[in-house]
Amino acid sequence: MILAVAGGKGGVGKTTVAYNLAAALGAVVVDADLGMADLPGGRGPDLHDVLAGRADPTETVRAGSVDVVPCGRTLGGARACDLSALGDAMAAIERERGTVVLDCPAGRRADAGVPLAVADACVLVVSPRAFALADAIRTRELARELDAGLVGCAVNRVTEEPPTDAIADALGAPAAVVPADPRVGRSVAAERPVVDAAPESDAAGAIRELAERVPR
Amino acid sequence: MDLSWTVDRAGDASLVRCRVHNDDAVSRRVRIESRFDAPVLPPRRAGVPEDGWDATGVTLRIGPGERRGFGFAAPSPPVEPPVTVASVEPVDSDEPAREGGGFAGDEDAGPTAADALRELGDHRPPRAAVDGGRGVDGIRTLKRAREADDPRDEDLAVAAPCDSDGGCRDAGSGAGERGRAAPEAVDEWFAAIEARIDRAERLTDADVETATAVVADAGGVDALADLDERVAKDAERLRAVSERAASLAERAAATDVPVGALDRFA
Repeated sequence: MILAVAGGKGGVGKTTVAYNLAAALGAVVVDADLGMADLPGGRGPDLHDVLAGRADPTETVRAGSVDVVPCGRTLGGARACDLSALGDAMAAIERERGTVVLDCPAGRRADAGVPLAVADACVLVVSPRAFALADAIRTRELARELDAGLVGCAVNRVTEEPPTDAIADALGAPAAVVPADPRVGRSVAAERPVVDAAPESDAAGAIRELAERVPR
Repeated sequence: MDLSWTVDRAGDASLVRCRVHNDDAVSRRVRIESRFDAPVLPPRRAGVPEDGWDATGVTLRIGPGERRGFGFAAPSPPVEPPVTVASVEPVDSDEPAREGGGFAGDEDAGPTAADALRELGDHRPPRAAVDGGRGVDGIRTLKRAREADDPRDEDLAVAAPCDSDGGCRDAGSGAGERGRAAPEAVDEWFAAIEARIDRAERLTDADVETATAVVADAGGVDALADLDERVAKDAERLRAVSERAASLAERAAATDVPVGALDRFA
């Protein structure tokens, strides 16, 4: 199972949701944001190396509380990436590790589209504000054209009761509400996913709810 | 099915432009094959061939009365005719036409990463952004007035090698450079790198005797301490230089200075 976590807009929390969702799924999370990597880095080969043909995909998996395939941080590395190699690379990791969660970049360019084309299904992350929804709808269209079935969406960083039903209707998938919780915000940098750090929290509940919708 | 073409020669390659016209009242799928004794270089977007192209030709779906233009290159001298219609088949009318956007995809496999690459905008940061940040490592461009042999060349800049400690050698007098492949300073730089690589090669999987000889040549193990690192750095610089040289050569080859026209203006 290859699951893409996408969202159109930058800064809505795709990386945070991807990381925590991977924790709930026991999956490997891959930082597919080639130009602006967010997941923890580390030494050794990364996704840039894989897409430049310099490294074997499975040797880039870095063990942690959630296993991560980090992405390089240089523009030169991003430029040298051959995205057409992403499908085979993800398939290789999937064969070895089962479920793969792809943290997608923002936008509608090839680097956002190719992970959706490679993925079997996707989760959309939206911010509870109207302007972010428009981008999410465009990304939903892209995912539909590329055959990445939408299994659910995460309304992220919610402070007051959001129009969850309207969002779910607009996107055509059930919406899980992830409340603004500092433990979620810190989870990636601290490498402590919220389902482990605060399993009783509403945020952890929302992440688990999303994880249950992912077919396996 | 009407097919017309023109062939242009560009260096060692032939550029073929074709037009195909479906004069039937129904959609047809037409297979057009190259007659060149060389692989077809199809039109590409983001490095991915356009839909329908393969190494020997293209398969197009053409609506009733529709005209379609297309073209390709082949690394081979022109042949006549350059293309032939290999087959024309009726198109199943239930088959959905892929008009007005959407991803092409294979008939059964659905859209692939290649489709996404072809249809969506390029994701790569522009070359200028990449080179601007890093510079071409170790190479500083410096202006050098050529001696009065050609005043118009005063502004020409050449690359001179810099040592990692920051010192740049002089790029040489410039006299007698013409006709050589590279300016003197560049030759010197290559020679220094070559010497280091030679040494590293001799030490790679070396037996005790060769290793001892190399160490003696170098004047002690200390002199070789950073050899590995320096050779790795050399490799990086060489790649940067070769990339830049190739892109400059490409630009140079694409220029065409209309001297005659300029003379008339003067």
